[in-house]
Amino acid sequence: MSEVRKTYKMFLGNEFVRSESGRTYSLEQGKEIVELPQASKKDVRDAVSVAKKGYQSWSGLTPYNRAQVLYRLSEMIEGRKELYIKVLKEFGVKDSEAKKDVKDAIEALVWYAGLSDKWEQVSGNLNPVAGPYFNISHQEPLGVSFIFPRDNVSLKSFLLSILPPLCVGCSVICISQESGVLAILLAEDIHNSDLPPGTLNILTGSYSNIIEDISRHVEIRGVGVSEDFNNDSFTTIQSNGSDSVKRTFILNESLNLLSLNPFLETKTVWHPKGK
Amino acid sequence: MVQVTETSEKIGLNWDDATELFRNSSVDEVGLKERVSSLATRSIKKESKLQALNMIVSMCDLTTLEGQDTDGKVQQMVAKAIHPDPNNIETPSVAAVCVYPELVETAKNAASGSKVLVASVSSYFPSGQAPLESKIHDTKYAIRNGADEIDIVINRRAFLEGDYRKVFDEVVALKEVCGKVHLKTILEVGELGSYENIRKASMIAMAAGSDFIKTSTGKISEGASREACCVMSKSVLDYRKATGSIVGIKVAGGIRDSKDAIRYLVLIKEEIGEDWLDSKYFRFGASSLLNDILRQIRKISTGAYQDSYYFPRG
Amino acid sequence: MVEKWSYSSSIESSDIVSIEKKYGHFINGSFVSPKSKRYFDSISPSTEDLLSQVSFGNKADINLAVSSAREGFKTWQKVKPIDRSKYLFKIARLIQERSREFAVLESMDGGKPIRESRDVDLPQVSANFFYYAGWADKLDLSWGSVGLKPYGVAGQIIPWNFPLLMLAWKVAPALATGNSVVLKPAETTPLTALLFAEVCVEAGLPDGVFNLVTGDGETGAFLVDHVDVDKVAFTGSTNVGKQIQSSIAGSKKGLTLELGGKAANIVYEDASIDQAVEGVVNGIFFNQGHVCCAGSRLLIQESIQDEFIEKLERRMQQLRVGDPLDKNTDIGAINSKQQLEKISELVESGVSDGGAIYQPECELPGNGFWFKPTLFTDVQPAYRIAREEIFGPVLTTISFRTPEEAVEIANNTEYGLSAGIWSEKGSKILWTADNLDAGVVWANTFNKFDPSSPFGGYKESGFGREGGRHGLLSYLKEKK
Repeated sequence: MSEVRKTYKMFLGNEFVRSESGRTYSLEQGKEIVELPQASKKDVRDAVSVAKKGYQSWSGLTPYNRAQVLYRLSEMIEGRKELYIKVLKEFGVKDSEAKKDVKDAIEALVWYAGLSDKWEQVSGNLNPVAGPYFNISHQEPLGVSFIFPRDNVSLKSFLLSILPPLCVGCSVICISQESGVLAILLAEDIHNSDLPPGTLNILTGSYSNIIEDISRHVEIRGVGVSEDFNNDSFTTIQSNGSDSVKRTFILNESLNLLSLNPFLETKTVWHPKGK
Repeated sequence: MVQVTETSEKIGLNWDDATELFRNSSVDEVGLKERVSSLATRSIKKESKLQALNMIVSMCDLTTLEGQDTDGKVQQMVAKAIHPDPNNIETPSVAAVCVYPELVETAKNAASGSKVLVASVSSYFPSGQAPLESKIHDTKYAIRNGADEIDIVINRRAFLEGDYRKVFDEVVALKEVCGKVHLKTILEVGELGSYENIRKASMIAMAAGSDFIKTSTGKISEGASREACCVMSKSVLDYRKATGSIVGIKVAGGIRDSKDAIRYLVLIKEEIGEDWLDSKYFRFGASSLLNDILRQIRKISTGAYQDSYYFPRG
Repeated sequence: MVEKWSYSSSIESSDIVSIEKKYGHFINGSFVSPKSKRYFDSISPSTEDLLSQVSFGNKADINLAVSSAREGFKTWQKVKPIDRSKYLFKIARLIQERSREFAVLESMDGGKPIRESRDVDLPQVSANFFYYAGWADKLDLSWGSVGLKPYGVAGQIIPWNFPLLMLAWKVAPALATGNSVVLKPAETTPLTALLFAEVCVEAGLPDGVFNLVTGDGETGAFLVDHVDVDKVAFTGSTNVGKQIQSSIAGSKKGLTLELGGKAANIVYEDASIDQAVEGVVNGIFFNQGHVCCAGSRLLIQESIQDEFIEKLERRMQQLRVGDPLDKNTDIGAINSKQQLEKISELVESGVSDGGAIYQPECELPGNGFWFKPTLFTDVQPAYRIAREEIFGPVLTTISFRTPEEAVEIANNTEYGLSAGIWSEKGSKILWTADNLDAGVVWANTFNKFDPSSPFGGYKESGFGREGGRHGLLSYLKEKK
């Protein structure tokens, strides 16, 4: 059995970094033991700082641009398909399931890429108010969002959790423990993509020490958790989040327009019509 | 058409006529930017490029406005202004040099015998945050030392507080001090906040008797932009229509390279016309720009890019 | 006019393009010789040089194409929506990569300036394929829970003013929604469509999904009348549109028409004048005025008329007419001899009716078909130049005094495609937009297109929309 201990890094602001705490945790990857950073409170604060910049840049692109960036990301993942499948198998996923998982993941990405420049046509609308006013409801992205994806070593699950906020222009910070290596593999493709720095940030490790900070951080505007997330932890998030009226919700995790809603703020604008 | 009043050596309008001019100052930003982008797609090559480059040299005001300026520094700069590229006699000299009032005398001596003019900044450049008396004093001092041209700043505080009359009166007073000395009025477009304000400020400055309107001091991070220049150009054109006077334009601050400078020429030519394609009516406030222009000129004649050590320091 | 500083020519090289001597039709995934055994010339309108010989499509050619499209439709139905999406993304990508080649070819074949084909047409073409690719796998989101299905075989006829862009507007939504296509490009501009067919092969699009038959009006008529065509989409002149509508009456074919226009560009006295001048110039001189939604009638508020016209004439003097492949050309060649004759005739009628004409000084090249940008003032609404679509670089000016008058004059036409409004007052813009009978209203801008933005007309400018969510309905019908 190989003694080499590979050290992976987290992905913040388009850079690969260790935890500032220096702490790590281990996973069994095939026949190897690998080390990943254990995210700390300071890492969360650093992540928010870069995610704010990421949000400015990402939401400042046209929807068409965002579509292009996401579509190109799908091309890149497609190009490294074999590597993703290999890694999934190293974490115990059966060959046929791994292949299906990666294929589904790419198709989910293509689905969301193509949604970027058209969701608002279905989701926003003109309101027929009773008066000489132009009235339109338009939707804007929330801002920096923290996501707890399913931790079940599946590329498809991971993407289904983070794509909705990205699609509408939010920036994302997420954390994975068991799926840490998979997430970092994705980070490599993100790094090479045209996603502006800070748009997607990936922490690794257990969240128990940092859940308090996440739920209290005012600049994290929304927190989304997968359906299988621990109830008590979600309650903690909700009650701490109430301090700043944070939006907290369970993710939709399917190819559905409704998956976007929690990440949107609706703005309604009025303007008179008259000579 | 408003009447032009000629009083002593001043050309300008009275306040009421001036206000007529900036009644409809509205500018659509998106439309303006599209026009400027479209003009930037002009492909200037071959003979037209060489001609443009030589024109640009002749329109440069070589500038040094630093705390560390000395006699020696200014003398070197003037030498370069007179012979920008000693290896190429076809390259014209620049239009002017621009220095602080303290160094006008040095510049004048160095430039004597040449056609290079000496411009000085005044009016408490660059901020303009001082009483009018100081600004007048500042200006008189520069003229006494022999400045051919004076570059003043408008009172942005007054402008942003809405006291346009004060802005106007100050420029009128400083023009009176200048008399026949050529007056450039700096709007500091980076501080004005909107294209409407740039148009308004342009009209006020012109109506008060400025010979030139200038974009920037070069001392804040936001200098000239082609959009600002476009708005000023249209103002200048409309002013000529209303009064018959041609006011010049100077762009300063942030024009880094030849490509950008050529885009300004295209803008002027197509937006207001070739009458302004002359150092009498158009200037570039430059320091590092000049070397890039000279490199490009050399490239066209020799086919190769030169390093900066081929060109004299200045 | 002697210039102090004139621009040297800056010609885009045509080396990137390789045109075949002869082209067949593109049917069932490959190029085939025409059953008609006839070919016709495709020339460059700026030089009158022969570019290529393309096949003429007769009834037999159309029959072959339609039956190929029928089989293609069956194939396409079996392809999963996500895979349809991927094919279209691939096509978009390939066009993007070959943009320069397409742009040069478009300018050579049609006469429009390279700057426009490069900066406007091509980016919009690939954007349209990208946009509709993203609908293919989520049609269920588009119109709620109403069950929708594709028509089947779509017969599409496109004009010569934006050959490749009109192809994109037609083909992208049709394929995304699951239809198969037989496309008939305009007689004078087939070449970019033929290059597009090559891209379909490169993308691996299944055989029969996209078919191309070149020819003239006769070819188009065979296509429209073919009994196995389920949907007809036509962009072109109003006269031909009416003929098509008449000839398919009684059949169950779906129809969308995008016809002519005589758009009013309304400039109120409180407009940002310099930007309005740009917008008016862009509105009529972009693409030599060969634009169905061109702002061909300037409606100017009387109080600013003199100032505006003076600025307009000065601006027109800057327009550069010349070689479409010169990057500095603003106005290219008129698309054909026939079109040039039509424009000239109408302009002469304008003069004899009593309109005052202004044309800037400019030298026109010797060979080829050219017309100077033209401005008419002192025009009465009854003159032919105020009523008929000229489809050339000719602007007609009519004055108004009040907003109601502006709207009345603007609507006083059988057309209703587009309109422009220039004012800095928001409520007036919205009031005016509400009162205009036009499918596209541009306020403080003009000639803006986006794949997500529906486009189409009121009244005799046609019906149906292209672009956006509404554009899907042109190619989907209810499951009943």
